[in-house]
Amino acid sequence: MKKKIVASLLVAAMAVSMLAGCGDNKSADTSKEDNSKKEQQEETQKSDDNNSDDDSNADEEQASGEDVTIKLFSNLPDRKNGQGLVEQMIIDEYMEANQNVTIEVEALDEEAYKTKFKAYAMDGMPDVVSIWGQPSFLDEVLDAGVLAELSEDDYADYKFIAGSLEGFKKDGKLYGLPRNTDIQIIYYNQKMFDDNGWTVPATYDEFLTLCGTIKDAGITPVAMDGGDGWPMATFLTDILVKIAGTDYADIISNAISTGDFTAPEIKQATQLLVDSAAAGMFQTGYDSQDYGTTMNLFTNGQAAMYCMGSWDASMALNEDIDAEIRENIRAFTMPTVADGKGGAKDIAAWNGGGYAVSADSAVKEEAIKFLNYMYQPDKLSKYGWENGVGMSAQDQTAYMTGEETELQKQIMNILTEATSVSGTPINDCGPSAFKTAIESEIQGVSNGSTSVDDFLAKIGEACK
Amino acid sequence: MKKLYSNKWVIFSLVLPGVLVFLFAILAPICLSVYYGFTDYSGMGEAHVIGFKNYQDLFHDSAFGRSLLNSLLLAIGFICIQHPLAIIVAAVLDKLQGRAEGIFRCIYFIPNVISVAVIAYLWKFIYNPDFGLLNNLLKAFGFQGQVNWLSQQNAIWSVLLVLIWHGFGWGMLIYYTGIKNIDPVLYEAASIDGAGWWTTFFRITLPLMKPVIQVNVTMAIISALKQMETVYLLTNGGPSNSTQFAANYLYQQAFKAFKYGYGNAIGVIFIIICIAATIVLQTIFRDKKEA
Amino acid sequence: MKENGRKVSKVILWIILILVAVIQLFPLIWLVDFSLGSSNEMFTNGLLIIPEKIRWDNYVTAFVDGNFLHYLRNSFLINTLAVVLVVIISIMAGYACQRMRWKLNNFVKTLLLLGMMIPIHATLLPNYKIYNTLNLTDTIWALLIPYVAFSLPQGMFLMTGFIESIPRELEEAAVMDGCGIYRIVFQIITPLLKPSIATVAIMTFLNNWNEFIMASTYLSSPKWKTLPFSVLEFTGEYSSNYAVQFAVMALTAAPAVIVYIILNKHITKGVAMGAVKG
Repeated sequence: MKKKIVASLLVAAMAVSMLAGCGDNKSADTSKEDNSKKEQQEETQKSDDNNSDDDSNADEEQASGEDVTIKLFSNLPDRKNGQGLVEQMIIDEYMEANQNVTIEVEALDEEAYKTKFKAYAMDGMPDVVSIWGQPSFLDEVLDAGVLAELSEDDYADYKFIAGSLEGFKKDGKLYGLPRNTDIQIIYYNQKMFDDNGWTVPATYDEFLTLCGTIKDAGITPVAMDGGDGWPMATFLTDILVKIAGTDYADIISNAISTGDFTAPEIKQATQLLVDSAAAGMFQTGYDSQDYGTTMNLFTNGQAAMYCMGSWDASMALNEDIDAEIRENIRAFTMPTVADGKGGAKDIAAWNGGGYAVSADSAVKEEAIKFLNYMYQPDKLSKYGWENGVGMSAQDQTAYMTGEETELQKQIMNILTEATSVSGTPINDCGPSAFKTAIESEIQGVSNGSTSVDDFLAKIGEACK
Repeated sequence: MKKLYSNKWVIFSLVLPGVLVFLFAILAPICLSVYYGFTDYSGMGEAHVIGFKNYQDLFHDSAFGRSLLNSLLLAIGFICIQHPLAIIVAAVLDKLQGRAEGIFRCIYFIPNVISVAVIAYLWKFIYNPDFGLLNNLLKAFGFQGQVNWLSQQNAIWSVLLVLIWHGFGWGMLIYYTGIKNIDPVLYEAASIDGAGWWTTFFRITLPLMKPVIQVNVTMAIISALKQMETVYLLTNGGPSNSTQFAANYLYQQAFKAFKYGYGNAIGVIFIIICIAATIVLQTIFRDKKEA
Repeated sequence: MKENGRKVSKVILWIILILVAVIQLFPLIWLVDFSLGSSNEMFTNGLLIIPEKIRWDNYVTAFVDGNFLHYLRNSFLINTLAVVLVVIISIMAGYACQRMRWKLNNFVKTLLLLGMMIPIHATLLPNYKIYNTLNLTDTIWALLIPYVAFSLPQGMFLMTGFIESIPRELEEAAVMDGCGIYRIVFQIITPLLKPSIATVAIMTFLNNWNEFIMASTYLSSPKWKTLPFSVLEFTGEYSSNYAVQFAVMALTAAPAVIVYIILNKHITKGVAMGAVKG
């Protein structure tokens, strides 16, 4: 038997060796090969030496307390625009002010980041990490004790918005700090709207009608990053907020603790999402397209609207985007649903992303020092505001310059005028198995290959 | 002489590096997988042994079933589309003489040497409904509207298309070499008997290529089972697990859904399936040969 | 009449070959074409574009920000080391299993060949744990070990086959001259194995050159990252600039394609010679 395997594989091997049968007349070449091999080996040896140098340096660092390397693991791969730029600015500034500190950044986009984070969490994390103050992400991480406890009293003067630290706590102890206040937004191209005589919808029915009109004009109504799953889940959250109003949080937490998602509000919201997708609200292939592709549809003028969080308000300042589009980006929030309990000013918003320090970091104190530096009110919060990144989790009123983009002012108003905010979006309320399930299943339900009831049953299953 | 060839220390020293690599990089991780497959380990904190629960769950996991079905679809696609094409092209190429032969063979093989990372992203753009190459091509032929190549229904076939395109040159080259190894005397005899191209192809080329075809088919099935890279970057198993594969699924479960133990259970089953598939295929082909 | 028929079939033959060539090549031409334009030019209905202005700076950005040279060096280094190790280990083990006289030779051979059936991705999770415990993550070993381990069975398989075909008389003469086993293996057998060494080297190189899942799981700093990372990292950083993304893809693909086209002549020669001999 084994011999047969070997024999038949040998045929393949022979075939391949025939292809590679250049060895016949190549004796002259071989000596060259040998040389280059030697060179490479020498090179590795050199780099191995370098390695050991680095290691011994690292040891000395700790002993003498001089040169420090802080590893920052970030979910912001674009270091030239928006939030990533802000983060990089602060890093550069900090290294300038503290010559002995080197900050090494490893940045991945959100999905890849979360995967790698969990791999890191198994053993040995970078010193400063991006985190999300939401059960789906933080519960298991805190249970494992991989994040360092922070002292809440240190941040009394940091002007954090009331309640924004709650998601980062466990048993009253603080383990991370929030970076943003995220609001679910529907961005639209005002010039396109004006040119075509379209108006911002006030109700969901109007919204659907508008999408029909836009589609008939040969333009994609809403650009939706459905390939990732979570933007659709936050969209669903937004609809649910309009249906359930302030009951949103209770309905969700009840559903997650029982695994029963058949509450009429959730059913209605899902049905609305399904109907909207079926009516062609989103671009063709939305359920497989990624973040960048989706955003580009909107910023290249192929889509009239774009559904995403408030962090993308930095589009208004992104030089890569045509000025004609960039300067005409405006925002509105989810229109109200008929008979829904949520008003126009009950919005879907949450404190999501933030930073924490690794519990077993070798340079913990230095890392916390850097963390605190980032959160000095005139750093993340101020720079973020100036770069149009959206709302921080700290009081930003002191940094109003009067030169904010229209978009920024609009988003600011949406937040300040809000009558209620939802808190954590649905996909982040449960354990990560639930998050994985809903973000995958929501693609199937929205494109019509899974029924609403099956969808609700499947995500309920993942909570158990 | 005999003494020289049975010196235990010499044997030991020759075999040691290989065995060490095997023990450390293949056997040890498999043993660890088997252990974690019996636990509820999340990836952090404590691991608790929970017996066969992971395996029971796996039995009812529709996404895992889907990933095996996808492997099967892929294997069928390889065998029914890629390989016949590769054999025919190889046979046609064999008829060509001179420089053109080499140039064509070189061109066919080029996609094969390009990194999967590039291939996957390139095809993501090719499939893009708004500006992708395929939809523009359809438009050029007068087709109206947008085809959603990566939709729930189409995605698995689109993945198959990429893999066929990417691996075509490899299969073609192996068949080509096989055909080149056929004794030209046989062809001459056939042509004297007045046999046409098709007759020669079916009566001489195909039967003599049987061993090569069997090996290639085995490899196609194994590679369909092992598929991960292209799918990971092109669709990441979506939409809604419709392009899920075992390797991608175990990765997702372990590192995304925080079910490291469950992921390892998938890994164990995955290894068993791969070994079983190889053995079954060998048995089938052996029986045929003897019959 | 017959002459005509032959002409027609020749035309069909050429059409098939050219059609397949176009299918295999056109996506790559498309890639290079759009990489020379600006992002806005992508949204056309045409199949190819004539860029308003040829933008070589896309490639400059890709070259510099994609860390191209550094990653290329890493890829080359890691792959070459893997090839060297696979060749040496497989010759040694192959010889021992094929020629030496001991009880367990078949068992060890089967054991080493077993790796061919094991799906490499199934070891991702446990290996991550092992490398972490041994502090091997983010070092060159984290890539080198699995690359060698999963290329070894194939290499071993090819080598045993070739060693088997070498006539024993050659060795017997050497033994008479008082050669030790090590000298026989490295000075007599190895030179005879040149064609199979080339095969093993090519297979190992092709297998590992494109690998990135393990690299992205086991590595974190740029120190040992390999060429596919130019592309993987770039799409996040330049998500709004398609043309630059195309440039980095074309650039990343280039080294392997160029090397292949150069080597292809050797392969063609080898095959042609084989055909003449046959």
